[in-house]
Amino acid sequence: MKLKSKLTAFMAVYIIALSFVPFVHDTLLAQERWIGYGIGAYQYLNQHYFVLFNEPYDGSSKPHIQVNPDFAPAARISLLEFSDWTSWVNDHNLFNEFNATARTGQRALDITYSRPEIVLHKFIEVSQDAVKVTFTSEKEFGAHVEVWRWVMTSINGLSIRDVPNPLVIQPTNRIDFTFEDERLQSTGRGSIIMSSVPSQLKIWPHEKGFNRITIDFVNSEMSFMVSGSMEAVGTPAPPWSYTLLPYVLPVIAIFVVALYLLVDKYGRTFKNRALGSSG
Amino acid sequence: MEERSRIVLLAVAVRIAIAPFFMHAGDVGTIYESSIMTLKGLNIYDFVYARTMQIQNATGLPVFFEGYAYHPLLIYFFVPFYWLFTLIAGPGPVMIDGHYPAVPLLIYPWTPLMLLMLKVPIILADAFVVYLLAGIDARKAQIYAFCPYVIFISAVWGMFDALVAVFLLASYLVSSRTNLLSGVFYGLSLMKLYTAVLLPLYIYRLFGKWRALTEFLAGLAFTLLPVFYFLAASPNSIWNVLVTFQGARLMGGVNLYNFIWVVQDLTFDLIVSMIPNIILVAALIWLIPKLSRSAPLLESMLTVMLVYFLLGKVMNEQFLVAIFPLMLLCRECDHRLWIFPFTFVFLRSPFYYFALPILWASPVFYSYYLEADVVWRDLQAAGYLQMPMYAVGVAFSLAILWNLLRVLETTPAGTIMGSDAFGSFSQSPILSTARKIRSLLSRFGISRVRYASYASDPQRSMTSQR
Repeated sequence: MKLKSKLTAFMAVYIIALSFVPFVHDTLLAQERWIGYGIGAYQYLNQHYFVLFNEPYDGSSKPHIQVNPDFAPAARISLLEFSDWTSWVNDHNLFNEFNATARTGQRALDITYSRPEIVLHKFIEVSQDAVKVTFTSEKEFGAHVEVWRWVMTSINGLSIRDVPNPLVIQPTNRIDFTFEDERLQSTGRGSIIMSSVPSQLKIWPHEKGFNRITIDFVNSEMSFMVSGSMEAVGTPAPPWSYTLLPYVLPVIAIFVVALYLLVDKYGRTFKNRALGSSG
Repeated sequence: MEERSRIVLLAVAVRIAIAPFFMHAGDVGTIYESSIMTLKGLNIYDFVYARTMQIQNATGLPVFFEGYAYHPLLIYFFVPFYWLFTLIAGPGPVMIDGHYPAVPLLIYPWTPLMLLMLKVPIILADAFVVYLLAGIDARKAQIYAFCPYVIFISAVWGMFDALVAVFLLASYLVSSRTNLLSGVFYGLSLMKLYTAVLLPLYIYRLFGKWRALTEFLAGLAFTLLPVFYFLAASPNSIWNVLVTFQGARLMGGVNLYNFIWVVQDLTFDLIVSMIPNIILVAALIWLIPKLSRSAPLLESMLTVMLVYFLLGKVMNEQFLVAIFPLMLLCRECDHRLWIFPFTFVFLRSPFYYFALPILWASPVFYSYYLEADVVWRDLQAAGYLQMPMYAVGVAFSLAILWNLLRVLETTPAGTIMGSDAFGSFSQSPILSTARKIRSLLSRFGISRVRYASYASDPQRSMTSQR
């Protein structure tokens, strides 16, 4: 075989082989561990949940918990988002007024928020059943935590028709909510179980539903066990999602390489014919 | 007016007309910020290193702050023009922040003037390239002067690969006359570190010619004096910024490796990013000795750079500008290769991102920006842009391969293209027989017998270096 053919064959194999890297990673390595990426974000994926903890420059999605529906595993449906932008501890904003560092442990993602007078940890643990977000400190602290979803159709049995204005609801350690997903034509259910009853719970209506729940508590530790599921109502079309890219890239690689080989082989022949050359 | 001057003036005029209104916020912001610090006498590497340590502490990940990660000399090409700007506009801030993922805050009416002044060195570099090319072939000078890709990278983006291009071209053009200057110009081309791959080639070609090699290395060492100074003054900072960051950089760009952007796992990505390094080093170790010392320098340089662009892990959109003049001088190369990185620019960054100086000038335009940005982010989040980006990356790599194989055919390395792979040209039994026949014929006065396996004349280069 000529060197040119060997080099071309090597490149073709090299390109196609490497195009499978995302697929291999997605299938074998991406599951059930905290993975850091980008400019400092973390993600965790298992069969039921995808959890994103955003990069240090962004106060949203701290974390953002998403559900992978059984009937559409590639779809990630937003379940609940904790926001540091709109959460306070001892009247100090978690995003702007604390120094935050992230580290991965054996099971949990550990976010340390520090100020001269207090050090606070936020642990995020993911299991097949739920995502547990725990705030803990050696000292007692007063917290105002906001969790968001656009939008919840009902919270603890209350719908937008019952609550046209922000409403303080009966303190409880369990919040149940429902939501809908138009793209998948399905409904979802979610729940938040807190380790103790907060001092205040408030729900905020927004257009077609509720978009946030504010939780105030005073304690040295508070955990939020978040779980959710989706039920198919109609017959949704298989959705396109970013998560399908690892399956598509090898197809693109094979197509482009095949095109190159065809042009390399026949392109010159056509050109030579046109030029009347036999070479 | 003579043709040469006319082309140069037109090239400059086109760039000056565009330059004040466009920019890549991240890259221009880096030069702006570094110019300010240099004027204040601050150490730019200490700043970048401190920010990197800050991010790594916050995230627990090997993330690097993408600031000034270039040769120390580079900033001194921009500082005089920034200083001139401050004489007119004063020392107040004109561009506040702008490092990814933030977009900058721009202060008017000074932003367009600041952009123009910071792009003057780049425009001058383009003008010199056009001038040098016009001295060889006016048609090629016109191609460089008015190529949309080159204009975009220099005048719209504000990226300075034109400086690399002019010094690389100058190093090549003077190499047959003075090795000292060739070394100086080559050293200056290291403003972007990717031309470092050419150093083994230069040394290999001059190896054994001790005086020439000493002159070349002396010229190179002269340009490296600022690096030595920073290595002595703050070794950790410059090492982290130039070596650790550039060496441990994530692969990707307009190449076959940008699939890695889909894999959101930094530790894994960094490990996989070692593969191209291994393949590239192996390819260069195999290739450079195959490029004979007497082979045309132009083709040899292009071969090495094309191998780097093909196999190296990072291939940013603007890198091709650096070898664009050399490609124009090489008959075997197809300069239309620029279409791939030019297309890629608009897949990777939204077109309006380059027009921030215009869009930031009015609240109405700003609202258009916000609307367009929502659409762009939706496309990005759905993965619709990653597919064409990957396709263009692979296609560009294959187009480089095609050019590389054509250039290789003109070099002694390419003479084995027609024979068994990896066999030595000089050891080929066919050629050995041919040599014997030639020797025999020459005794009878028939001196010119061509090697049957020569794919093309190795002296076809327009400005071949002997």
